[in-house]
Amino acid sequence: MRGSLFAFLGGAFITLQGVANSRISQDIGTWQAATITQLTGFIMALLILIFVRDGKWQKLKQVKPLYLTGGAFGAVIIFSNITAIHRIGVTLTISALLIAQLSLTFIIDSKGWFGVAKMKMRLPQFIGIGMMIAGVVILRF
Amino acid sequence: MIAGLLLALIAGSLVSLQNIFNSKVNERAGSWATTTIVLGLGFLASLTIGLIFEGKHLFILQNMQPWYWISGLIGVGVVVCLVQGIRLLGPTYAISIVLTSQLGFALLWDSLGWLGLEKVPFTFKQLIGVLVIVGGIIVFKIGGRRESQTLISRATSIT
Repeated sequence: MRGSLFAFLGGAFITLQGVANSRISQDIGTWQAATITQLTGFIMALLILIFVRDGKWQKLKQVKPLYLTGGAFGAVIIFSNITAIHRIGVTLTISALLIAQLSLTFIIDSKGWFGVAKMKMRLPQFIGIGMMIAGVVILRF
Repeated sequence: MIAGLLLALIAGSLVSLQNIFNSKVNERAGSWATTTIVLGLGFLASLTIGLIFEGKHLFILQNMQPWYWISGLIGVGVVVCLVQGIRLLGPTYAISIVLTSQLGFALLWDSLGWLGLEKVPFTFKQLIGVLVIVGGIIVFKIGGRRESQTLISRATSIT
């Protein structure tokens, strides 16, 4: 029950974050919004990291450098997310975003790229993505 | 409309890649070190691209409201909720709930037009569309007992 509540709130926060960024960008601009919100989040996460002090961060050196660069995608993700929300609304943006996200994860999993454990494509995943696309078509047309 | 959809698809693909990269960092360094480095790099990248496109205008913040400064904290809330949700429920069920909740709140937000967003009137058709998508998510995630990637650091990405 507590786990479901956390997951539910997590989803709410993700949407709220996109909406808040869109609002902020109307006033100060899109790149400004992306820069400021990530700076604040970075400072807070750093404070928590220092406070938690589990020492695990020292293992960062063992991580392949390529995987450390994922954060840089954030700039393009936030820019695209904000611009899409302005153009097509929150519901369609999140729907299309989730379809691309789940489809690409699915492809990467089934090919075993980036050293992820290889997983076979199964019928339910195809049906699931088909239903999601059908849902977007219903939303829009 | 096509441009909007395309941008959302680009964002989704990058989120997928980022989640996989982040989960690799997360395995070794833990969720807070991962979040710190992800947001730190995202900040630097945004600052750099912003400077390239806008130059000095990047630092002109018109109509800056105080709450804009702290809105980045929402991302920290996302990380806490996802880490705890996944710990308690496992990734498959936790992420199914996260995605469903994301869409539900998106529909709510469009319908209410809060925070000065353009209101998209709520219709029966929209409800059906969202329910079909949620059905698709559940079939995708639960069907075939397929363990999903830990999406712990998506927090930092979707923003």
